[in-house]
Amino acid sequence: MFKKVLIANRGEIAVRIIRACREMGIETVAVCSEPDRNALHSMLADHTICIGPAQSSESYLNIGRIISATITSGADAIHPGFGFLSEDPKFAKICERCNIAFIGPTSDMIAASGNKAQAKKTMMDAGVPTIPGSAVAVNTVAEGLELADIATYPVMIKASLGGGGKGMRVARNREVFEQAFLTAQSEAKNAFGDDMMYIEHYVEHPKHIEVQILADKYGNVVHLGERDCSIQRNHQKLIEETPCASLSDELREKICDAAVRAAKAVNYENAGTVEFLLEPSGKFYFMEMNTRIQVEHPITEWVTGIDLIKEQIRIAAGEPLSFTQDDIRITGHSIEVRINAEDPEHKFRPCPGKIEMAYLPGGKGVRVDSAVYSGLEIPPYYDSMLAKLSVWAKDREECIKKARTALGEVIITGVTTNVDYQYGILSNPDFIEGKTDIDFIEKHSHK
Amino acid sequence: MELRYLFKKTQTDNVEPESKAASEAPQTPQGLFQKCDSCGETIFAEELRQELFVCPTCGNYFRMFASTRIGNIIDRGTFEEWDNDIPEKNPLQTPGYEAKIRRLQDKTELDEAIVTGRGLINGHPSCIGVMDCRFMMASMGSVVGEKITRMFERATEEGLPVIIFTASGGARMQEGIVSLMQMAKTSAAIKRHSDKGLLYITVLTDPTTGGVTASFAMLGDIILAEPGALIGFAGPRVIEQTIGQKLPEGFQRSEFLLEHGFVDAIVARKEMKDYLGNILKLHENSGEFVFDGADTKEQKKLKNTLTAWDKVMISRGKDRPVAEDYIVKLFPDFVEFHGDRYVKDDQAIMGGIATFAGRSVTVIAESKGHDTKQNVERNFGMPSPDGYRKALRLMKQAEKFGRPVICFIDTPGAYCGLEAEERGQGEAIAKNLYELSSLKVPVLSVIISEAGSGGALALGVSDKVLMLENAIYAILSPEGYASILWKDSKRAPEAASEMKLTAEDMLSLGIVEKVIAEPDDLSAANLSEVTEVLASELALFIGGNLDFDGDELCEERYKRYRKYGV
Repeated sequence: MFKKVLIANRGEIAVRIIRACREMGIETVAVCSEPDRNALHSMLADHTICIGPAQSSESYLNIGRIISATITSGADAIHPGFGFLSEDPKFAKICERCNIAFIGPTSDMIAASGNKAQAKKTMMDAGVPTIPGSAVAVNTVAEGLELADIATYPVMIKASLGGGGKGMRVARNREVFEQAFLTAQSEAKNAFGDDMMYIEHYVEHPKHIEVQILADKYGNVVHLGERDCSIQRNHQKLIEETPCASLSDELREKICDAAVRAAKAVNYENAGTVEFLLEPSGKFYFMEMNTRIQVEHPITEWVTGIDLIKEQIRIAAGEPLSFTQDDIRITGHSIEVRINAEDPEHKFRPCPGKIEMAYLPGGKGVRVDSAVYSGLEIPPYYDSMLAKLSVWAKDREECIKKARTALGEVIITGVTTNVDYQYGILSNPDFIEGKTDIDFIEKHSHK
Repeated sequence: MELRYLFKKTQTDNVEPESKAASEAPQTPQGLFQKCDSCGETIFAEELRQELFVCPTCGNYFRMFASTRIGNIIDRGTFEEWDNDIPEKNPLQTPGYEAKIRRLQDKTELDEAIVTGRGLINGHPSCIGVMDCRFMMASMGSVVGEKITRMFERATEEGLPVIIFTASGGARMQEGIVSLMQMAKTSAAIKRHSDKGLLYITVLTDPTTGGVTASFAMLGDIILAEPGALIGFAGPRVIEQTIGQKLPEGFQRSEFLLEHGFVDAIVARKEMKDYLGNILKLHENSGEFVFDGADTKEQKKLKNTLTAWDKVMISRGKDRPVAEDYIVKLFPDFVEFHGDRYVKDDQAIMGGIATFAGRSVTVIAESKGHDTKQNVERNFGMPSPDGYRKALRLMKQAEKFGRPVICFIDTPGAYCGLEAEERGQGEAIAKNLYELSSLKVPVLSVIISEAGSGGALALGVSDKVLMLENAIYAILSPEGYASILWKDSKRAPEAASEMKLTAEDMLSLGIVEKVIAEPDDLSAANLSEVTEVLASELALFIGGNLDFDGDELCEERYKRYRKYGV
């Protein structure tokens, strides 16, 4: 087992990792940027090294400084958390070269997952369902029609160099394809100077379902059930829950099996998450594999009783999984609510500032992962997440009530937060009935 | 009290860490990282190699080993090294010199400061010399001079182009006057190579200074540079000490040289191989002449409804296509070259090389802008003497390599200004008329909009002149004409008609050979209607001159201009 772990991150996830290490008897080294000297993770770790100025590229993203902090502090492993360098294959590779254990998968696995086209092909070969559509870009209507037939309608037509919604059109059937194709193409040509288009099946009103995977270095792979992360705004998850309210046991098994197959296809190791889009019809498609711990991991911990961070550390230290798939039991229901310093009234703009007072709830089945305390200055340079409130109850109905109750107790003054906004979602009848998909926020945003 | 002292930290692990074998303990292996001298960033060496030694953070160009450079530029397995066994001499018996050379040879695995040889670049054969700064700052001693000279002699004999990547502190102090003579020796070898009509490209890399700049580095037919390279004769420190002034930011850098007319183009390291391969291809000119457009594109009828003044206004129209638009349509592989090699790169003249129907051509254009910003950069298409000298340089280059010259004329006139006179506007125009008249390659000029006076003629002494229907050609502007003759520039419309400046007039006066019809409201959107006709005209001209005789062309051109007037 490791003697000393350096945590290359900040905020609540750094705190989460420090706690896990401490319970395991592992010394911790925090790194921080200059404005983070008083951040909770800096104060909680056994050792803290300030690695540079506020700008992430000069501190939390600066590989050279993090490596030298690791070597000078005598740490033998790095936990990258999420975000920052957690999915940078170069960072993982440098750790490998320097004999530093990277708590996560190998650099090759990260690189393979990061290459979307390659990952999609690997999954197709492994029999994991992927979104039907073109591996090649085309620039004529005739070629496009041919691909659309294979992809099945509705189809999404998108610029091969696209981005920001430009050069994107949905065609619902063969009749309107030509019009949609030509419009998207001329937009693409104007915006990117390129008229090559991809055609793929358009997945309508899907749920975002992801499956937690754990895999050791010896080929043992288990899943820890799914999480429903459909409540998102601009691809930012707001509320996550497990299990998914509307999944039949049969479909759940199919999705989780596919996730295990996906992990095995890349010889995955450590914790990972396989993301799928689930159509109302029950068809589901592989989206991507996240090669790191997820923000929303606490809800999986609630229903399985497994400490994912500790498992990550054990796997990286070369220990085999201490349980099999059969040992894993999903019990009850869990919901996580992200509390961010942002202003829902003003386009969710981040609201950094000084926390005057923070009162965070507790009680049975209530967990708060946070790095805030009264008097802390929230710097404007990083992510605006202040805390994750996660609750557990025996069923979904009770769980929602508990989440609402706990959220109702949250008091954070000094900065604007999204607490009221989140409370609104938890009270929304559609949410309560489990009628959610990734368009939920957009659909209800006028309210 | 700070929180950190209030937490009870239950650190349990006080046992001695297991003693790992030293090789297993975390450590940074030698050479894993490299530091950028410019931004100080620590860079993963593997990434730096992938980026061809360009700092991924700040874009700074690291100096490169000759072997790495050759690996990047020359097709794998095709490099044949030459002359790596020339015995070192110590002509001035400088103490310790031989020992120093031997030490460097051991350390760098180089025999001297330049590697020479032959290889393929994207399949195109070329000789190549690459200097390496690790060897006494790549200074030019007698062996360096000898290797370069031998390379040129061999290239001349075998009819091969030469590319040199320069990098040098200049002459080699330890060899004194003998080193100085290498400047003359290499230059003389290059002259012989050039006289055979062979191509020489230099790529200036950081740093290129002293006697190397003042000899073979600056003698390329085409001079390229890597971004940000220090290039100069005297070193910046010496200049500062001499003149007692601090030099401005960017002084003597590639960009400065480009602006001052000494560099044809700055090419990013990642694009260098393809760029060089393309230039070599354009100079092989071995392609067959294949024109796949219509041979005689049916000519639209000319409209006779517009007045001369209407045409003046149309020719100056805001949305009227400029030369660059024609070049993009007619010569998609156009490579632009910059600079007059004296003072400046005048952007009112755009010039370079391209292929048309498989044959290489030189394209030179008076270049207006699409909008105000571009027009300011291009001085509204009014060339300075530097522009005409750039044009002349490219014409002479075309002559050396035997490729036709296609000129696009579109200027209100030569620039009228202080600096233009100081640098000899009149002389520059005159020189172009003089040289064009006897240029031993075919010359075709196309008047696309405004052809104002001598400034236009400087690109219009040609074998054939085409003119767009609504273009104008005149001794001066109608406004100028009206104000000189009638002291009233408002009478310009009347003047326009009196001056006989329309395309039709030019045709009847025998000034142009052909008028190209225009669609209504010629713009970027319908420009192809004109360029398709122009393409067939170009095909006719180039195709008709495939086996041209330079002297015959000059004779005909002489007669063409001899006949004007009484």
